[in-house]
Amino acid sequence: MTQSEITSRRFQFDDWDAAQEHYLDAGMTDGLPIIPPTEQRVRAMLDHAGLAPGDVIGVESIRQKRMTAEKVAINAVMAGCKPEYLPVVVAAAAAVCEPLFNLHASSTSTNGIAILVLVSGPYANEIGMNARTGMMGNGNRANATIGRAINLLKTNFYGSTAQDMDQSTLGYPGKYSFCFAENVEVSPWPSLAVSKGFHADATTVTTFAANSPLQVSAHGGKDPEDFFSGSAHAMQGLGPSISEVLVVISPELMSYISEAGWSRERIAEFLCTKTQAPAKQWAAWHRIDQAVALQNPDATLGCVQEPGRITVVPGGGAAGAFTALIASWASSRSVTKEVQLRR
Amino acid sequence: MVSRSDQLVTLDPRDEGVPNTDVLAKRPTTLDGKIIGLLSNRKPHADELLRMIADAIGERYSLKGVVEISKASHQWPAGPDILKEMAGQCDVIIHATAE
Repeated sequence: MTQSEITSRRFQFDDWDAAQEHYLDAGMTDGLPIIPPTEQRVRAMLDHAGLAPGDVIGVESIRQKRMTAEKVAINAVMAGCKPEYLPVVVAAAAAVCEPLFNLHASSTSTNGIAILVLVSGPYANEIGMNARTGMMGNGNRANATIGRAINLLKTNFYGSTAQDMDQSTLGYPGKYSFCFAENVEVSPWPSLAVSKGFHADATTVTTFAANSPLQVSAHGGKDPEDFFSGSAHAMQGLGPSISEVLVVISPELMSYISEAGWSRERIAEFLCTKTQAPAKQWAAWHRIDQAVALQNPDATLGCVQEPGRITVVPGGGAAGAFTALIASWASSRSVTKEVQLRR
Repeated sequence: MVSRSDQLVTLDPRDEGVPNTDVLAKRPTTLDGKIIGLLSNRKPHADELLRMIADAIGERYSLKGVVEISKASHQWPAGPDILKEMAGQCDVIIHATAE
């Protein structure tokens, strides 16, 4: 029987400021103040989602972490989430527990990844997520706090504490929060959720062990071959043999893509092919070991092994022709889960 | 827990699950006559580091042998096949990372 009581350890404080100092001093935050997770707030969040505290959201097998709804909700409250955001955070938490995501290695690596949460489907709009102007940046509560919640969960629950188990050499601001929604309004394609085989009304969360985004300017042309050639050139800068690349395409470029009739698959195929280069070229760029390249110098290597490892998603504001390229960490694969809603 | 009505009571966001209860294998009292396994994670120079350790141990003990095995990748744990193979062959295993 699922545990119905909230069993987490309690802390007592004389006031709000004392609580803030305790959470900051104990390394239970990302360095920013948090919303103190009272039982009342956590219970309200769980009740809204129809979850019991003891419901198991996922089990991460390497460190044998059993993630419960209670711990997910506590971290979501701390991040500033509204109760209606919890189903999205829960789906993301379940996704990162999947072995393919490789949470343990990716969250300890010197690469310094953040968990990127990409939301596709109608629930993103219902909870007011931003898929438009500045969607990867600040200014939207849902984006900011959902992304913050999953990264707090990584720190607090999973133990990937900054400067400790998290050995990021440099880190990047996405480690505070990295979350946005697909801009379906500017897309000629089915949503990413539908394209992955989910039903038409489904909302999904896709999680990436994401390195920092590389924004590529693509002004000056309307032919997808031209502007994606520029993006492919930039993508080579990410290096060869990347696990996956997420490509975000701005609405202006999406309008040209619609006119040209390009599909997601065609874009992925184009980028996969265009980033191919001989091993000796990658070695000349000092992106692979010279000795490895000498074994077969003319063998071609691309940024990714196959087009299926490139995810294409529309997003961003109406003005500006840009793509953003986001590489996944080493062997980590993106994982998609449907957001389970209580209707 | 008793708290004053004017106090703020909050919850711990960290994992409070029961820690893994695996126990350490029995340690040998000497390495004389033992087979040492060297488990590399394939990071650059991991092999060299492990061989240096094995050489240093070999100067102090009369080893029966040294077995070198590499994981498929530093990015994943050693698989059960490797662990079973090493457990069958070796008395002691040294694992190392390097760069």
